[in-house]
Amino acid sequence: MNTFAQAYQWVNLRYLLEGLWITVEVSVISIIFSFLIGAVFGLLRYMKIKYLSLIVGFIVDIIRNLPLLLIIFFTYFGLPNILGVRFNTLWATIIAMTVFESAMLAEIIRSGILAVDRGQMEAARSNGLTYWQAMYHVILPQAIKKMIPPIVSQFISLVKDTSLATIIVLPELMYHAQVIYGQNTNFMIPMFLALAVLYFIVCYALSLLSRFLDRKLSEA
Amino acid sequence: MRLKKKNWLLIPMLLVLGLTVLAGCGQKSVASEDVLARDKANKTVVWGVKSDTRLFGLMDIKTNQIQGFDIDIAKELSHRIYGKDVKIDLVPVTSNTRLPLLKNGNVDALIATMTITPERQKQVDFSDVYFDAGQAILVKKGSPIKSVKDLKAGTKVIGVQGSNSVDNVKKAAPDTRVLQLADYAQAFTALKSGQGDALTTDNGILYGMSSDDPNYVVVGGTFTNEPYGIAVNKGQKPFLKAINKNLKAMRQDGTYHKIEQKWFGKIQGFHQGR
Repeated sequence: MNTFAQAYQWVNLRYLLEGLWITVEVSVISIIFSFLIGAVFGLLRYMKIKYLSLIVGFIVDIIRNLPLLLIIFFTYFGLPNILGVRFNTLWATIIAMTVFESAMLAEIIRSGILAVDRGQMEAARSNGLTYWQAMYHVILPQAIKKMIPPIVSQFISLVKDTSLATIIVLPELMYHAQVIYGQNTNFMIPMFLALAVLYFIVCYALSLLSRFLDRKLSEA
Repeated sequence: MRLKKKNWLLIPMLLVLGLTVLAGCGQKSVASEDVLARDKANKTVVWGVKSDTRLFGLMDIKTNQIQGFDIDIAKELSHRIYGKDVKIDLVPVTSNTRLPLLKNGNVDALIATMTITPERQKQVDFSDVYFDAGQAILVKKGSPIKSVKDLKAGTKVIGVQGSNSVDNVKKAAPDTRVLQLADYAQAFTALKSGQGDALTTDNGILYGMSSDDPNYVVVGGTFTNEPYGIAVNKGQKPFLKAINKNLKAMRQDGTYHKIEQKWFGKIQGFHQGR
């Protein structure tokens, strides 16, 4: 019991929370960017524009089928070599996460739109709406409701996947825990417990948000 | 439909072409610029350091700063080369990430408990030795074992699996029995509980254990020679020269000794065999 009290002394907890802050920072920035890029890519692929949709689809398919860790290595180790720019671990991770999650979200968004019955578009168009009007007023509102659960679970795995960046020594939650129990191996189990609780809080908050949005949209 | 199939072939070809062009542009990567001149202009120097090694580079949880012998040497060198107002960036590296980070130019130099080996010298340039590392033994205070030569038949030495330290100690003391354990923490616990008469690995790690628990001391100095050097990229001769020149000056004017004393002065057995 004494080890637990020692492990959870304030300096250690504060250090863990500093790590949590980096995890949240990386997650939030990646979520915002990847949602925007994913939406654009998903729509582009859905719309079947000559060449463009094909290229987008090709890129999305490639990225979706690569391990995230490989993309992180590429942005951290590879880009300085190719482009001559140095990223710190924070931005290397954010860029890698954004690239990977954009591709995942593009597919979720595209399949959400595809899941809306074709008849809806035809009916809207035959009532005199333009393509974009039909998309905005008829298709997307229905599609978004279908997309929210898979999008949120994608965001949840994004938060958890930030821990992969410990390999490039990003000072996020997982790494800070490793530093603490690296200095006293007795703290290993207490730190694992703390990690479980902290990741759970962040991810559960996200799933509550999903439920809230779901209810909000059903009312509308 | 036929057009589409052709496109599918075209796109990957374009992609490969694009990447090749990008790679071509990158011939002049950050790693191949003159580091000394660039850092002088930017007033920033980036060091790759360890953040998990006691006494050499260890993250202090209270202050969120990395501290240790390597760090102090790096700071002193930076001030001497670039002036007092230089911004010193410390990037934590691991044994697996340090070489790629240096080669890609993420860091300007590595001061990360890195042994100078011929294999590594093919890839990077090393400075003069800044720490005489080597394998040593740790024993309980007052133990009859005073050096590796005292590890005779009937003694048992504890080593860590997967490192060459076990082979080294078998060569230096062929009659002793070796107990191999999974990691340093387990090895030290085993020594404390009397499962062996001595523990062997790099002296730097042993000093860290000794500073943790002063009832255990490093004896007999090193019996292998694995000196630590500062690594820089090939083709960075001006930077390497500046490092060596200032390292020498630090040794001469006593600054090196002061830093050494700060980290290792209190550790018993540190001056033995030096």
